[in-house]
Amino acid sequence: MTQEEKRFIEKIVTQINESIKSDIRIMEVCGTHAYQIAMFGIRKLLTPKIHLVSGPGCPVCVTEPDYIDALIALLRHENVSVATFGDLLRVRGSSGSLEEQKSLGRKVITVYSPEDVLVLAKKKKGEYIVFAAVGFETTAPLYAALLQTAQKEKIQNLFLLTSLKRMEPAIRFILGEAGVHIDGMLCPGHVATITGIGPFLPVTTEYNIPAVICGFEAMDIIASIGILCKQITGEVPHRLINTYKRCVRDTGNPTALCLINEVFRISDVSWRGIGMIQGSALTLNHRYEVYDAAKRFNLKIETTTTSFPDGCECGKILIGEKTPDVCNNFGRMCTPEHPMGPCMISSEGACAVYYRFGGDEI
Amino acid sequence: MKGKITLRHGDGGLHTNKLIRDIFYRHFNNEILTGYQDAAIFSLETGRLAFTTDSFVVKPIFFPGGDIGKLAASGTINDLTAAGAAPLFLSTGFVIEEGFEIEMLDRIAASMGQTCNTVGAKIVTGDTKVVEKGLVDGVYINTSGIGIVHGCFCPRRITCGDEIILTGTLAEHGTAILLERYDLGIQSDIVSDCKPLSEIIPALGDHIKYVKLMRDPTRGGVATALCEISESEHIGAMIDEEKLKIRPAVRAVHDLLGTDPLYFASEGRMILVIEKGYGMEIINILKKLESCCDAEIIGTFSKMYSRVCLRTTFGGERILSMLENQTISRIC
Repeated sequence: MTQEEKRFIEKIVTQINESIKSDIRIMEVCGTHAYQIAMFGIRKLLTPKIHLVSGPGCPVCVTEPDYIDALIALLRHENVSVATFGDLLRVRGSSGSLEEQKSLGRKVITVYSPEDVLVLAKKKKGEYIVFAAVGFETTAPLYAALLQTAQKEKIQNLFLLTSLKRMEPAIRFILGEAGVHIDGMLCPGHVATITGIGPFLPVTTEYNIPAVICGFEAMDIIASIGILCKQITGEVPHRLINTYKRCVRDTGNPTALCLINEVFRISDVSWRGIGMIQGSALTLNHRYEVYDAAKRFNLKIETTTTSFPDGCECGKILIGEKTPDVCNNFGRMCTPEHPMGPCMISSEGACAVYYRFGGDEI
Repeated sequence: MKGKITLRHGDGGLHTNKLIRDIFYRHFNNEILTGYQDAAIFSLETGRLAFTTDSFVVKPIFFPGGDIGKLAASGTINDLTAAGAAPLFLSTGFVIEEGFEIEMLDRIAASMGQTCNTVGAKIVTGDTKVVEKGLVDGVYINTSGIGIVHGCFCPRRITCGDEIILTGTLAEHGTAILLERYDLGIQSDIVSDCKPLSEIIPALGDHIKYVKLMRDPTRGGVATALCEISESEHIGAMIDEEKLKIRPAVRAVHDLLGTDPLYFASEGRMILVIEKGYGMEIINILKKLESCCDAEIIGTFSKMYSRVCLRTTFGGERILSMLENQTISRIC
């Protein structure tokens, strides 16, 4: 970081801290923001009147136990391998995790990109490869591109079990139905890179809450908090501002959006700790349902109400109502080594971030 | 020598002897080893001795900047260095998988021999076992070492104000291995920093009396090493991120993968804890050494903190925790 950048940050931080006279709550919706804020030590720079709370934007944390159960059920089929990104391995369903299944010798394969899955399917022609397709709009185009390639190359042993989620309905849920009080929102720049600014406009236009589409560098985050504070204190009107223009176009990424529309349709899905959110899922449409593992293997993913271990506050932490440090299990019974709640499993889960980097107090 | 290792190379007979002569004796060449004794016999000056052992199972066996042989020799030499000792004699044990290329074994032994030669240490005894295919992954090496501890080195309790020196850039070994092991398709010029550091001891000379503790930040990287020191000494520390030197290519890889270089191994760096007020004196000595030319005071121990904290480049603060797990394969 250059001296000029440092001076710029110092100036904004001073302005922020002088302008905020009473307690305010700013939510970062995305797990990557939660991680970056903590890693840069930004809380320590800001007045304690500014409370930075996390939202439900870590895909691992909001993946329902029933989905994990379905993946585990697949492993009982002869000739089925489940391919997954590594961060899903430790998420528990009602009867254990993929990591435990792997240690029992079941065929769970960690991949680093959807391309790996394609290679795997070609290599293991006599086997079925089911890819655990979890994520938000950021990852969905990759899964879509994978299926398009599979279709083009007539690969018939590759399937997706999807649990893909959309950001806008979750934000509407938090600000509407859940009635969570926040004064400003840091919106995820990577989702907006794909979707454009559209899904985030209602934050200001319908809910009248200051919002900024924000990148992931320290400068991005601090400048965005600065803009939010100016809107919160009334210095400037409430309006969605895009500070991540180097990546985010108003209309998003047309190629990625085209891929999503070609392969997926909008439906409903249950979020761990939150419950069913209408219209918040991306599932395979009729053109690609032949790749749907749920249909191919007759799986029914039940949408039961999530139950958490005793004392676990993940349900409230996921929607920013509570911070991890108020949970009695946090750092005692629940650690990244022995996670009890879902927010401690992913490295970008709110509790894991708090545990690793410290929260408001260091 | 060409061909592959077979079980016969481990049966103690003719083939074993030929392997020992043609590879190990040739590369480790010294009069103590080649005496065909079951145990090495040598004399030592009087004084305190340091004795250490370590096993090496790195994958891949050959990596940019080194191989398992260089790593095994450097690792033990550096463990002795951390104990304030000049390395003298090493032992080594090889467990080799049936079918391993003899030419590769030759290269590994050669780099072990060279590494020891550069610091004046000798491999004086060894053992070779060959196991059936699939029981080990290529080759595993154990090395143990003996050295004489410098008369002025006296590890002491760390107190408030003691300064922390890191002898160079960080995370290069771990990052080089990461890129090779996971075949991530990232092209880079990152090479492992793997090298012996024993020149530190004679260079410090009597100034070593100001060194309270040394630790090489191998597995778990600089962050984990500092956390271990902090926990065992019951004192916190503040590390200045700006003083941590990370090569741009290394930083770029970790930015891309979302991993933290502070938790990735160095195999040619040392952390030194220096008595309050003497940090700069030690830095001036270390900077003259080729292996430590990028040495910096990266922070201080302080009772103000109960854990190791990091002051970020622009003044933020956060905790440095012990490494729990780093997931490289992630959804986003």
